[in-house]
Amino acid sequence: MTSNTSPEAVSLLMPEVAGLIVEALNLDMAPEDIEPDAPLFGDGLGLDSIDVLEVALVISKRYGFQLRSDSEDNVRIFSSLRALSAHIVAQRTQ
Amino acid sequence: MTAGAGAPAWMREAERSHLPILRLMVWLSLRLGRGATRWLVAGIALYFTLFSPRSRAASRAYLHQVGAATGWRATFRHFFAFASTIHDRIYLLNGRFDLFNIEVHGTEALHATLSSQPGLLLMGGHLGSFEVLRSVGRGHAQLPVAMLMYADNARKINTILETINPSASADIIPLGQIRSMLEARDRLEQGTLVGMLADRGLGGDSTRITDFLGRPAAFPLGPWRVAAMLRRPVFFMTGLYLGGNRYRIHLEPLADFSAVERGERENAIAAAVDRYADRLAHFCRIAPNNWFNFFDFWQS
Repeated sequence: MTSNTSPEAVSLLMPEVAGLIVEALNLDMAPEDIEPDAPLFGDGLGLDSIDVLEVALVISKRYGFQLRSDSEDNVRIFSSLRALSAHIVAQRTQ
Repeated sequence: MTAGAGAPAWMREAERSHLPILRLMVWLSLRLGRGATRWLVAGIALYFTLFSPRSRAASRAYLHQVGAATGWRATFRHFFAFASTIHDRIYLLNGRFDLFNIEVHGTEALHATLSSQPGLLLMGGHLGSFEVLRSVGRGHAQLPVAMLMYADNARKINTILETINPSASADIIPLGQIRSMLEARDRLEQGTLVGMLADRGLGGDSTRITDFLGRPAAFPLGPWRVAAMLRRPVFFMTGLYLGGNRYRIHLEPLADFSAVERGERENAIAAAVDRYADRLAHFCRIAPNNWFNFFDFWQS
């Protein structure tokens, strides 16, 4: 299966991923208010590692792949909504 | 205990001991043995009794709340119990289980739960000895145990203790990183028991106010969210220090989130927090000197 990992495909997916995050964490904000390039963890959106787990679980349910705990890329993946969306575009199985 | 500015009061509580002194204490403890160095430990407890008015006030307020005797002697005994458990970490990390009389209550229930589903969460608190709990996994029950804890917290002590037994850090999952809870998820899937301390929040955490020893106190919801998300059974755990060389570990079923649906989560978490606070209070009454939160827990 080849997936389209173009920047356009990533931008297209971002609103959906933002919606999943807002819903999973009951955030008191609209999905479109999540800044595409602001950090998700710590400063920025302010997620903690429990929130990360919650996001990881909805991602695995929706897109059919697991975020690994031993991945060196976690810092990069959670560096922004755009980075997370790009990771999903590249890894999704459904 | 070291922590940056902006951390909650318990994290800001400055660590008074300095590295060379701690190193010297560890060296003396290993060289001269537990019996001989307990006098030094008593001296340290006395020092804190005399020169740490904030910790002293916290000890007094707690002892009053639990219904124990208060006063200088009572506070000294309280600090001595705390200092003893830290001192004993040196020996426990060194595998010297022969020095201690450790009773374990509740392993049958634990094994019964594990036989139907490997991997469960152990919720502890700053009550009793942390190290004696970890050593159960290593020494006694032959169960893989990993503790979620702040690498920053008591960092100085940990760096020194790790030099005693470097392999001991393998069963620590550091908190405060992106991957912390993902690692907890993976370890649970491998059948590991994952321990967390559920009596202190991190500031900014959501909490639930519930009765603790007759007064309302705030307990963090984070640990319970993890249990609910990962749908795991939860056991209460504590390793009470009973004086001398005696410890008693208590493990008891507290809650089970394995069949809790998302919609029922909130209620199940609330019930679990209340029960946790209740068990914590129960063991405080049994062994009052084991409460090691030396700050105003009720934040009055």
